[in-house]
Amino acid sequence: MSTERVAAAIRDSVAASRPLRISGRGMWLDAGRPVRADATLSLKDDSGVVSYVPGDLTLTVRAGTPLAEIADVTSERDQWLPLDPYGSPDGSIGATLATASAGPLASSFGLARDLVLGVEFVNGSGETIRGGGKVVKNVAGFDLSRLLTGSWGTLGVITEATLRLYARPAVDRTFVIDLGGPEKHVTSIVRAIVTSPLAPYALLLLSASAARSIGVGESPACLIRFGGNEAVVRAQVGALSQLSRPEELETKIWLAVRQLDGNSHSTIRISSLPQRVVAHAARMLHEDIPFIRTSIDPRRGILRIAVDSDGEVDQRELRADLRVTEENGGGASEVIFEKLPPEVWAQVSPSVVADGLSRGIRTAYDPHNVLNPGILGD
Amino acid sequence: MVAERLAEIVGPAHVLSRQSELLVYNSDGLPGYRRQPRLAVFPGTRDEAIAVVRFLAAERLPFVPRGAGTGLSGGALADDIVVVGLHRLKKIISLDVENRRATVEPGVVNLRLNKHVAPHGLLYAPDPSSEAACTIGGNVAENAGGPHCLKYGVTLNHVLAMTVVLPSGEIVELGSKVGERDGYDLRGAFIGSEGCFGLALEITVKLTPKPQAVRTLLADFTSVDKAAHVTSAIIASGIVPAALEFMDGATIRVVEDSIYAAGYPRDAEAILLIELDGLEAGVVADQETVRRICLDGGARQVRVARDDAERMKLWQGRKKAFGAMGRLAPHLIVQDAVIPRTKLPEILATIHAVSEKYSVMVCNVFHAGDGNLHPNIAYSADDPAESERVHKAMVEIMQACIAAGGSITGEHGVGLDKLGYMESIFSETSLNAMCELRGVFDPERRSNPGKVVPVHACKEWHGIPGSAKSRGAREASPLEAEPSRPIAR
Ligand SMILES: Cc1cc2nc3c(=O)[nH]c(=O)nc-3n(C[C@H](O)[C@H](O)[C@H](O)COP(=O)(O)OP(=O)(O)OC[C@H]3O[C@@H](n4cnc5c(N)ncnc54)[C@H](O)[C@@H]3O)c2cc1C
Repeated sequence: MSTERVAAAIRDSVAASRPLRISGRGMWLDAGRPVRADATLSLKDDSGVVSYVPGDLTLTVRAGTPLAEIADVTSERDQWLPLDPYGSPDGSIGATLATASAGPLASSFGLARDLVLGVEFVNGSGETIRGGGKVVKNVAGFDLSRLLTGSWGTLGVITEATLRLYARPAVDRTFVIDLGGPEKHVTSIVRAIVTSPLAPYALLLLSASAARSIGVGESPACLIRFGGNEAVVRAQVGALSQLSRPEELETKIWLAVRQLDGNSHSTIRISSLPQRVVAHAARMLHEDIPFIRTSIDPRRGILRIAVDSDGEVDQRELRADLRVTEENGGGASEVIFEKLPPEVWAQVSPSVVADGLSRGIRTAYDPHNVLNPGILGD
Repeated sequence: MVAERLAEIVGPAHVLSRQSELLVYNSDGLPGYRRQPRLAVFPGTRDEAIAVVRFLAAERLPFVPRGAGTGLSGGALADDIVVVGLHRLKKIISLDVENRRATVEPGVVNLRLNKHVAPHGLLYAPDPSSEAACTIGGNVAENAGGPHCLKYGVTLNHVLAMTVVLPSGEIVELGSKVGERDGYDLRGAFIGSEGCFGLALEITVKLTPKPQAVRTLLADFTSVDKAAHVTSAIIASGIVPAALEFMDGATIRVVEDSIYAAGYPRDAEAILLIELDGLEAGVVADQETVRRICLDGGARQVRVARDDAERMKLWQGRKKAFGAMGRLAPHLIVQDAVIPRTKLPEILATIHAVSEKYSVMVCNVFHAGDGNLHPNIAYSADDPAESERVHKAMVEIMQACIAAGGSITGEHGVGLDKLGYMESIFSETSLNAMCELRGVFDPERRSNPGKVVPVHACKEWHGIPGSAKSRGAREASPLEAEPSRPIAR
């Protein structure tokens, strides 16, 4: 597979009026999103490093490259791509960018869109386009890299990406704090951490069911990851010990965290003002529903809920619940459906690209509607 | 007629139509380009701005948004069309200290926002050297950077949401004030659109807590090459300084001769201004590592600013360096290429060779940590032979940066100035995709026509009012045409 072959496949699909389902390594697929296509264009075989200059902290890879391979290649030079989306590390970088996926490291290192420096993609007419470049700062031309990130394959098939890397910290330690105490106490610990000068790499609050599923105990918990030079980590661990009783975990716990979704039949992400999330965190963590795993990134203002298929939850009810939660919070939140059963998708999630600008861009980049039609509720 | 109608919207005092009054608006921070606007209108409220845009839409008149006019790419120039100046829209609409965000009107000056939030222990991270004058609207339009963007990221990384009036007069909300949302990143597409996608009327930004500790180091070297290698070594070490700025000997001496004298060693051939920030313990450790890298790389001395006053002084010299160049000659030309950071020593050597070849004096003062060069030449544009040499030198430098895998602009934007280089870094299909994106925001291409993407690179752009085909043909000509012209002072 090469860019030229992707382009040829798209041109063929246009000629035959046969839309394509775009797939990376097929690890996440369409998250239940309905796609009106019976042919699949997979980028699985279009994988590997195109160029890696450790001194520049930049890496260019083909879109089908698994995240795990990027981790291996960069760790040989003591570097990493600090992007830890939920799901399998065998997932591809192309899909990660197309779905704008991110994980707990995002509150320190940014979202996918903050780590991508340039992309090559093929639009729905089979034309190869490049946006951005290979340097860490660039304002030449309109920003097509940002546009493609999170477009779910509907504006173009990403074939190559240049990413910003970071040096691996000299020290990288993770701790867990038990949040099983009374709600008030939990709120004050969380608030103390969030408003302190502590600058953890990641900070994630887990409900009891979430904690249980990754083997860190039976009660709600807080995972906190410190990185940097020896001195800065030591100072922060010291400061944290003043606030609570942290216990050290192995860093590989974060690999387990990435599997929090498990075989969830729905995953919902709510973005809200950080302080509102902090205010409600304790109550949400203490609501221990066995088939719902809740995780909260208080600094990023993100609440993430993975619902198992054995739970008899009507998605519409859940959505209504979320609305109520929002209203109690006294203002708007953004509800993002990451995964839903295909049959409820259309009822639950209105199209996220129904506005005039989005529709215009879609028509300009995929005039024949052959790229993942339907995936954004369009 | 148009002027009267606009005056009805904003009041007669806020419309300029006399040619003499409009002279002030015939250039931006790069006054080598001059274009005389037809008229200028300055709305005082958001509603007035919307009414102005709707009136221009009804009349199908092209226009150019303008902030403070400090841009360095000719982006805010209006060639016989309407300037919509936004500096009167300067309300800080809201400040949410707890959630660290602020919503502002586009005419708010960058430094004013910073002064406003400072008492709460917060800062707005993007800090262009023009911070005392440039507006947040202009920063959004250019995706402005600044010295501290090395660690904190550029404007793009700090803007959550915007209310935009499209050239058609339609109002749209891009991004989310709350944080994250689903769908296309229209916010990301708008940032850096250089006024071609409409007017940003309300901007919600993220604020950053002030770091607990800050250390500013000044390392001085007897050669440019040593400082360049040390820059690469610091980046490769994995430490992310808050800022890592480079000044060569020529720049140092100009600054030291000016009112911005910062106490830089006059006999040095290069200095690095390195700032480390974060938690006290970490900063102390990084400071030692950086000091060692500098000394191992041949620094004569590494000095640490003792207090805030000394720190401010060191920064003042850096931030006012372009201004100080005015001492050398009446005109200045500045470039903004970005190169891979490992290529710094090589490209700085090339710049030196080019300057000898054309007998011009290139000064280098730039954001070294990002690889964002600002080679600049002070000279006299009244001397045609010198102008010719300066121009050729700049083209050759840009070509070397492009050949090194770089970009033509890191923060100043394409505007008019770098239009001629766009085809050397983007293919026809890529440029056309940019035209199409613009076409969605501005189907009639009336907002800042003729900028960023050469008009002839856009398919199906014929007969569109304001597409400025004739001007476009001149400005979009290839490298040799006029990608860089003098800045007159
Ligand atoms: C001495 C000096 C130092 C500088 N240092 C830096 C630096 O360190 N980093 C950096 O990035 N830049 C720097 N610049 C460049 C410049 O200051 C920035 O590009 C700044 O963002 C421009 O803001 P402005 O308000 O002056 O915009 P203007 O120059 O008025 O306009 C710039 C562009 O933005 C558009 N625009 C303005 N307002 C809006 C709006 N509300 N909506 C839509 N479009 C709009 C205009 O049409 C134009 O295309 C420097 C300039 C000078 C003179």
